[in-house]
Amino acid sequence: MAATAPAAPAESELDRSGAEDEPRGTEPEEDGGNGQAGPTAGAQQQHRLAKLPLSRIKALMKADPDVSLASQESVFIIAKATELFVEMIAKDALVYAQQGKRKTLQRKDLDNAIEAIDEFAFLEGTLD
Amino acid sequence: MAERPEDLNLPNAVITRIIKEALPDGVNVSKEARRAISQAASVFVLYATSCANNFAMKAKRKTLNAGDVMSAMEEMEFERFLQPLREALEAYKKGQKGKKEASEQKRKDKEKKSSTDENDKSRDEEEDEHMDDEQEGENEGEEEDVEN
Repeated sequence: MAATAPAAPAESELDRSGAEDEPRGTEPEEDGGNGQAGPTAGAQQQHRLAKLPLSRIKALMKADPDVSLASQESVFIIAKATELFVEMIAKDALVYAQQGKRKTLQRKDLDNAIEAIDEFAFLEGTLD
Repeated sequence: MAERPEDLNLPNAVITRIIKEALPDGVNVSKEARRAISQAASVFVLYATSCANNFAMKAKRKTLNAGDVMSAMEEMEFERFLQPLREALEAYKKGQKGKKEASEQKRKDKEKKSSTDENDKSRDEEEDEHMDDEQEGENEGEEEDVEN
């Protein structure tokens, strides 16, 4: 199960939260990402401002056939927005867990939040 | 390795960390809930990208930019994100600028060196630096080639 290993530094994958001055271009972890604690080498631009690896975000954006080019800033902003989204949905789901007097967030709490909250309508029918 | 949207996940460890930091101490998250949130996050990226891209296309631009993403957030009814995103963008741009200047300085120093008589050494260094420069070059263009 080889990683995609985009060797060419020309890709200029900006990722790696925090490893600032590393002049490396390769990404060792372009895989399914199951439990791989993510941030990859190749850094340079992140300054720990985004927790999610920009390379992965960019790969997702590329999946859209209508997208041709995306500025680095836009990739960063989407990464940041996604982080805010995760925080938001976790907190909103927690309300339902608490209603059920539970301290563990469960899948059904997510489902409830998605159904109840307008901003999450786009998620309906998309999760396994 | 297939790169269909369904196959691309965000790193579990990072997602977990974001969730934990958002919730009070003592709250746990089941594996299924975590997985669902991670999936939702991927869907969010796809949706936001598509939305943002519409704005770019409307403006007849081929490059999706930060402004398009902001417009997308509004359209998606995530106005609450706008302020923190603007602040993050400012910080990011400052960081970028610092990097650019640092690498400009590096480049100047490099040029100075190779014009002295340390020819062999600088050739090696240049090879190392080359990768660096390519990346810096990309950054200066400030565009990512998200080609399909």
